[in-house]
Amino acid sequence: MSGGYKQQPGSGGNTVRKDGKRVAGKLKFQPPGAGGSNPKMKERDLDFIPESVGGKEPQPAGSHVHDRLRTGTVVGKEVALVDANPKVIGKAEYGDDVRLGGEIIGKILRSPHHYAKIKSIDTSKVEALPGVIAVATGADAPKTFGVLPVTKDEHAMAIEKVRHMGDLVACVAAVDEETALHALNLFEVEYEILDAEFDPRKGIEDVDEPIHWRGKYHVGNTNIQKRVFQEFGDRSLVESPAASSSRKWRFEGVHHGFTEPHAVVAEWDATGRLQLYTPQQVPHYTHRALSTVLDVPMHQINVIRTFVGGGFGGKSDPFPHEMCAAILARKAGRPVRITFDREEVYWINRGRHPSYIEVKIDADEQGRVAGFDIDALIDGGAFASFGHVTSYYNGVLATSPYELGSFHYTGARVWTNKPASGAMRGHGAVNTRCAVEVGMDEIAEQLAVDPIDLRLANLLPPHCRTITGFRITSNGMREALTKVREGSDWDNKFRKLPLGKGIGIGCGFFISGSGLPIHWDPNRFPHATVHIQIDMDGGVTVHTGAADIGQGSTTAVAQVVSEVLALPLDMIHVRSHESDTSPVDLGSYSSRVTFMNCNAAIRAAMEIREQLLNAAWEMTGYHPTTLVLNDRRIYYKHDPAIGVSYLEALHKAQEDVGALIARGAYRSPPMGGVHKGAAAGLAPAYSFSAYVAEVDVDVETGIVKCTNVWAAHDCGKALNPLSVRGQIIGSCHMGLGQVLSEKMVYGRTGHLQNANLLQYQIPSVHEMPHVTPIIVESSDPEGPFGAKEAGEGPLLPILPAVVNAVYDAIGVRPNTLPLTPDQMWSDIQKKMKELKIKDPRKLESPRLEHGNLQPVLEQRAEEHRIRDGKRQRTEDTSAYVNGALFGFDPNIPMEDQVEGWRSATEPEPEKLAELGIAGKAWLKQEQRKMGGDN
Amino acid sequence: MLMPAFELHKPVSIEEAVALARDLIDSGQEFDWVSGGTDLIPNYKWHINTKPHVISLAGIEEMKSLSMTEIGAGVKLSQLEVSDEIHPLLKTAAGKVASSLIRKSATLGGNICLDTRCFWYNQSEDWRRSIEWCHKADCGTGADCRVIPNQNTLCVATYQGDMAASLISLGAMITLVGPDGIREMPIEDFFELDGMKKNVLQKGEFVCKVTFSEEVSKRVGAYKKLRVRETWDFPEAGSAASWIPGDLSSLRIGTTGIESIPRSHCKEIEQHANWNDEDSIFELSQAVQKSVKAVNNTILSPRYRKAMVSVLTRRAIEEII
Ligand SMILES: Cc1cc2nc3c(=O)[nH]c(=O)nc-3n(C[C@H](O)[C@H](O)[C@H](O)COP(=O)(O)OP(=O)(O)OC[C@H]3O[C@@H](n4cnc5c(N)ncnc54)[C@H](O)[C@@H]3O)c2cc1C
Ligand code: SF4
Repeated sequence: MSGGYKQQPGSGGNTVRKDGKRVAGKLKFQPPGAGGSNPKMKERDLDFIPESVGGKEPQPAGSHVHDRLRTGTVVGKEVALVDANPKVIGKAEYGDDVRLGGEIIGKILRSPHHYAKIKSIDTSKVEALPGVIAVATGADAPKTFGVLPVTKDEHAMAIEKVRHMGDLVACVAAVDEETALHALNLFEVEYEILDAEFDPRKGIEDVDEPIHWRGKYHVGNTNIQKRVFQEFGDRSLVESPAASSSRKWRFEGVHHGFTEPHAVVAEWDATGRLQLYTPQQVPHYTHRALSTVLDVPMHQINVIRTFVGGGFGGKSDPFPHEMCAAILARKAGRPVRITFDREEVYWINRGRHPSYIEVKIDADEQGRVAGFDIDALIDGGAFASFGHVTSYYNGVLATSPYELGSFHYTGARVWTNKPASGAMRGHGAVNTRCAVEVGMDEIAEQLAVDPIDLRLANLLPPHCRTITGFRITSNGMREALTKVREGSDWDNKFRKLPLGKGIGIGCGFFISGSGLPIHWDPNRFPHATVHIQIDMDGGVTVHTGAADIGQGSTTAVAQVVSEVLALPLDMIHVRSHESDTSPVDLGSYSSRVTFMNCNAAIRAAMEIREQLLNAAWEMTGYHPTTLVLNDRRIYYKHDPAIGVSYLEALHKAQEDVGALIARGAYRSPPMGGVHKGAAAGLAPAYSFSAYVAEVDVDVETGIVKCTNVWAAHDCGKALNPLSVRGQIIGSCHMGLGQVLSEKMVYGRTGHLQNANLLQYQIPSVHEMPHVTPIIVESSDPEGPFGAKEAGEGPLLPILPAVVNAVYDAIGVRPNTLPLTPDQMWSDIQKKMKELKIKDPRKLESPRLEHGNLQPVLEQRAEEHRIRDGKRQRTEDTSAYVNGALFGFDPNIPMEDQVEGWRSATEPEPEKLAELGIAGKAWLKQEQRKMGGDN
Repeated sequence: MLMPAFELHKPVSIEEAVALARDLIDSGQEFDWVSGGTDLIPNYKWHINTKPHVISLAGIEEMKSLSMTEIGAGVKLSQLEVSDEIHPLLKTAAGKVASSLIRKSATLGGNICLDTRCFWYNQSEDWRRSIEWCHKADCGTGADCRVIPNQNTLCVATYQGDMAASLISLGAMITLVGPDGIREMPIEDFFELDGMKKNVLQKGEFVCKVTFSEEVSKRVGAYKKLRVRETWDFPEAGSAASWIPGDLSSLRIGTTGIESIPRSHCKEIEQHANWNDEDSIFELSQAVQKSVKAVNNTILSPRYRKAMVSVLTRRAIEEII
């Protein structure tokens, strides 16, 4: 097929005459419409067509339902993000780039107090200032909103109380920034200062003035926002453990540190509709909240997502400043723009919760994990945000990848007078994961076994159910562990390096999309919908609400459509910015976009594909099952000369009906348990990762430098390996920040001392280790072409890998993050006191002599490897439920075969005294049970 | 953040700068000097002690001399970090300041005269208002110091300029010019132990250059900087040492990033004049550490920063012997 086949029959395509002039072929429609300038069809790229459908792409994890849709066009290939160019050349419009005619500038008056009642606000001087056009206070928008329907506790501006320094009090719009800033000084606000609380540990005590009041559901008179209790499994297993690790952790709050500060522009257009421009991860929730707060039907609001300069979870709540801009614009009758200073970005926060976490791990004499006991007290700051979910995630996302004899979790989220915590990359899973993985290392040490072998001998297999009922499908954990072990030369380094040099392992487990859409019934409405529209020009317009926040969701959606239709990527145009045209979508959080939107897009593309094939059938006489789609052509599979161009088939299909329009939706299948909170952490698929990190620790200064990382992540199928590697490296950087230097520092007065990018220390390029990303493809049966998430899970393992490497280097096991030099130094000083040595250079790094259990674990791991391979390739389709490793029958409910098997979501009253700091939240009663109800 | 308005003056000679200053003083107007602006401008944007007039020294060619024995205050750190005409210690130290981008504007003079820093002070106006200000920028309220309260006389903000430590260890002299003429002094005498006053500069006076004796070229030196990240971060502690190899008595040590001024450690060296083996170097380093006090107003804990003075000093000495 050397010259390739022409896109059009006859003399079609562009031809160049002898005199150099280009002439169009004799076609009904001119060739550029056939897509691209190349008039010749490219050969089928068999390297990117799976073996199961006759290609050469190996499928060690077995075949996939989407294999038959593969055309070798773009899936699995490294492609630049489709929106890269506008960003690189500076044409992309971010929040603050939007400029509308007649716009004025909005500024927000923020609380100087941590906690106070607002007694009065006098705006008369502000209003009198020349240049001021609109002023608003809480009284202008009394309705509450919040990202979760169960915890709507925010206002556009404070109503009765301010709850943290920086909380919104009022706002003003003026002709320019200078006037607006000046106007802020003219508000006269009278406050009555209340006692502020910054220590989350006090949050479970009764106070005079709880930060919020939840009526009959309020827990005592405390600041507890949410409490969780979960106990599953056979608790008798932890009664006499062979090894036991118990550690109390402290994690400081961290912020997303995205480049673009929040910005919003609001305009009420000439028809009276609100046009709101905002860099949002979840425009749909903003849409809903605006409608509630402004008292305007949703269809009268168009939310326009600008380019988003990084989100990482920090731009996924509907925000009060979005409401403020709309309120001011309505009052002013002019567009209003509000752009944050970096400090304001920290006031709105939504970063990772500062947490106190206690993790106890018990193992039995066979090196099985008898129990995880987790207690997590998380500091929610002043508002609920995503915290309801975070409270669950801190426990339940630790229930895999290891098979557990029992699981016990108590969690509490409390309000404090600090900027609100929320969702951040790796939402709710990161801190506990770090604690669990370090605990696993300690267990390995006590059992005198290699920590990787310990893990390999305790993994849940593919296609199984976890102890709390999550359905696991594909599972590349074993492969990830094996690959980083090999890549890092682990066996020659672990416990063998000189003092100051160390190597450590950590694993990760994360949701690939949350199983429940939080705003509607999952059994009725889809999580994601995608529309495809193709007119006569042949260009494919894809409408999706998926918010590209730099992670590449637009590219992923374009790729799968391109793949199914066998059209070059530049023929696919994704429209995802406006709520007027985008189908409703839950947005970019919980790593759901690739999984859900691409599945929806594939379904829509399949509909178009069928219409094209039917048209080609009519034209060629060959049945669709014998036709092949390849590079803008549809032809008989045994003779590429017999066929039609894409454009011809398209026009045939368009006869009588006009533009082709198709719709695809994704809804997750029914799954999970029925207990309270069963839906939290439930996902249609899960990602797995394993990292090995190498560190250098300066024993005298405590400075930790991570030098090398081998990072294996199971993303199911890398639709775009370039993106996946980028996500892995970026996750390493972000996680390293949390483990080495990033923290929100609240000083003794409760003020955030480092609300700027100099003192909030994000690692620079100098702190970046050499990262070797390793992609593991377990081919998820329900993922689009087998894909799962790669945006959040890869962050998890870097924290414990570094902490474990520090132990390997100097024999000190820290339990406070970040490992800033001063923190590390005081840990080292403590160790020196313990060992009674004066010079840290005399410390000894730990060594390992394998005990008797080592060969037992190795053998079990080998047996499980064979087991897992069969299950992955579905050669073995038997049931597997957590507990089988302990000899229980997966075909019989555990409760029926194990006496005392627990499955509880409330503590037994007699055991209340044993609970940890978060568990103590259960000592209090809800108001309704105390007789109070207001 | 919006820059407050000020009038910018751009003299092109030392003489003109002095004259401008004299005029402003005579008319009762307040002003600041600016060179690279990498310290002053961020502070202005935070509305910290801003003035209605700013005189830029950036256009004065006379202040850009560069040789082994003389460096003009207007020389950029980016020039120093690649220069083979100056002492290698200064070259290395300059390369450790801030980031490569900042060093393209930052000058030696600005670095020496760097404002002292404190995490109650290097904050936005809203932030400082919410702690009801502090002594150093009290906005007329008479507010107390937030680090050492109930004294109201002293500011203990930390001096975190990098270059001073190396300049001290190389025995630099500093030349000041002002309406009352020219004066010269050892660089360690330039600084004053007060986070607000900072140095001996009188109204209208500015730094025009630093100079070294001929013997400087015989010196071998090292600078150790403590910081969390290898770029951007100010020194949380810094120690520089230099000597003429073989001559124990020639050792000079300068430390920075701990107190409100950088320190010269001649006294400690005198007391440990025989610093010729591991133990005595350790003792000398301990003595240097004991002579300084750190307070809690930077990112890392004061106990730790102080403890590191000994480690940094020992490592600096070990590197040059
Ligand atoms: C992100 C960031 C990181 C930084 N990190 C470091 C660091 O690691 N180490 C470090 O030392 N510094 C650091 N700095 C501070 C600053 O960039 C440098 O100290 C720089 O050398 C200052 O020089 P400049 O010319 O820009 O000073 P300017 O901002 O122009 O002036 C600084 C001060 O000195 C006064 N001044 C300037 N020139 C003279 C003169 N000739 N005579 C008298 N007074 C004068 C000014 O009035 C002002 O008060 C950092 C700054 C930033 C923004
Ligand atoms: S040391 Fe005291 S007076 Fe000086 S800046 Fe800090 S808080 Fe203000």
